[in-house]
Amino acid sequence: MMNGQQYRDSLRHLKPKVYFMGEEIHDVTSDPSIMPHINAAAVTYDMALAPEYEALLSAKSHITGKTISLFTHIHHSHDDLVKKVKMLRATGQQTGSCFQRCVGHDGLNAIYSVTYDIDRAKGTDYHNKFNNFLREAQEKDIFITGAMTDPKGDRSLPPSRQKDLDSFVHIIERRVDGIVVSGAKAHITGAVNAHGHLVMPTMSLDEADSDYAVCFYVPVDAPGLIHIFGRQTNDTRKCGGCAIDAGNAEYGIVGGEALVVFDQVFVPFEHVFMCGEHEFAYSLVERFATAHRQNYGGCKSGLADALIGAALLISEAQGTEKATHIKEKLVDMVHLAETLYSCAIACSCQGYALPAGNYMANPLLANVAKLNVTRNVYEIARLAQDIAGGVLATTPSELDWRDPVVGRYVDKYMAGVAGVPAETRMRLVRLLEAMTCGTALVESMHGAGSPQALRVMIGRQANLEHKKRLAKKLAKIDE
Amino acid sequence: MAKVKVSLRYCGSCNPHVDLGRIAHHLAGVANRRGDLLLVAGTEESVDIAVILCGCERSCGATKEAMDNAKFSIVVAGENLSATPVPEAQLPLIVEKELARIIEMFQAR
Repeated sequence: MMNGQQYRDSLRHLKPKVYFMGEEIHDVTSDPSIMPHINAAAVTYDMALAPEYEALLSAKSHITGKTISLFTHIHHSHDDLVKKVKMLRATGQQTGSCFQRCVGHDGLNAIYSVTYDIDRAKGTDYHNKFNNFLREAQEKDIFITGAMTDPKGDRSLPPSRQKDLDSFVHIIERRVDGIVVSGAKAHITGAVNAHGHLVMPTMSLDEADSDYAVCFYVPVDAPGLIHIFGRQTNDTRKCGGCAIDAGNAEYGIVGGEALVVFDQVFVPFEHVFMCGEHEFAYSLVERFATAHRQNYGGCKSGLADALIGAALLISEAQGTEKATHIKEKLVDMVHLAETLYSCAIACSCQGYALPAGNYMANPLLANVAKLNVTRNVYEIARLAQDIAGGVLATTPSELDWRDPVVGRYVDKYMAGVAGVPAETRMRLVRLLEAMTCGTALVESMHGAGSPQALRVMIGRQANLEHKKRLAKKLAKIDE
Repeated sequence: MAKVKVSLRYCGSCNPHVDLGRIAHHLAGVANRRGDLLLVAGTEESVDIAVILCGCERSCGATKEAMDNAKFSIVVAGENLSATPVPEAQLPLIVEKELARIIEMFQAR
């Protein structure tokens, strides 16, 4: 397994096409806008080798028997599913931000099971090819993104009837040695600092959309691949020497998402895991979505751990920690965070084996977990902002704190209780700001599935007929 | 020839997506017709075949203890038989076929 520095070094050997703010970025490892996201991903490598964390961040490969990163592991038990949630919480506590590798991890597990199903139904050889790829991914310990969401264009039309057929990634040419694809994937977490992308269809497809039923792996610097890095709230604070104002200067906020354009990208068949088998697109989407929604109860409870700590510290810095309402709000934050964690643990314990032998979380409970995240994270953030006070919105810049003329005023009036200097209070304010405002919240809303998508799945899985029978029995209503 | 001992175990039925009783009733009929199998309660120890009836994919009934108690196990988990999707209407017959296949194996020994 690589350590964090080896991971950074490995990125320098790659030549992805990356654009941000009107410029091409030739070395992501030295760009201040991207470095925090690299640092966050690097934590997953370092923690896997640290004695106190390796039990959670490493596993034994079911293919080779060697110790591998959990992020390249295929779940083979309930314990594996629970371990993933605990791993995500532990890592989120350290970074206070998204560390990006879980999306690809979920893609690996979903594709592992669906390639097995396709082969069983159609006599293809996808599962074997996928296992070959997986073995290499495990041995090289690569960071793989999960690229599912298409830009989608007109959402009332299927892919093949779009005005712009590139609204969804699709096959434009079949050659003897591979396929050529065109289109784009949106909101791809960690895209610019990964080793490659695992691309999957984003919705159920019928026969007319067979060219869109495509799943493959492509290295991040494949010819024709273009990454356009997305903006985030306060992203310019990453630059210009304002580490305090950035809030979470080392790890940033959210994962660093990009629009990934596939401009006639060639994919060799050894890395193609679905090629037209449209009947299996929905299975792949559902299994990936279930795995990914399971995650949020883990990572977001980890982030909440750090946020609750920051809220308590700011209350201590401001002398409000003994107030009853402050204590109550902190308890509320803990309650909300542990509710998310409970949901993630529950869907893991209630998971089951798929025909391929790997385990998946329970879909109903995973969707419940994520739907709770779309609400609880906002409420946790609101409570943190309530505790911090209006200073969250008005704190002077770090540059003014360092200014030779006004710095002494900032130092004097931003100080907390006796013994708490202005710098400490400002650092806490900025961390709270980074973790509770803007992009950080939107990611909790829409990552792994927007609220309505979750509600649709919950409605489908709710077993409403059984519930009606229960009520009829109690009310003594005859069938 | 000794009868093949077949136990029926239920998961607990907190979330039944399929009618488990219908499968059990069908197997009782099979036992009456065949005469070479003995249907026993799920609590019976050391059986030949355990038919584990779980109402949904969570498969709560398919515990290690339940599986270790039998030489062979057939697990129904919602609309799945041993992890293969089966529509509810076909479950009783598919379970019967699987049971017959395993009994044949026993009798061939």
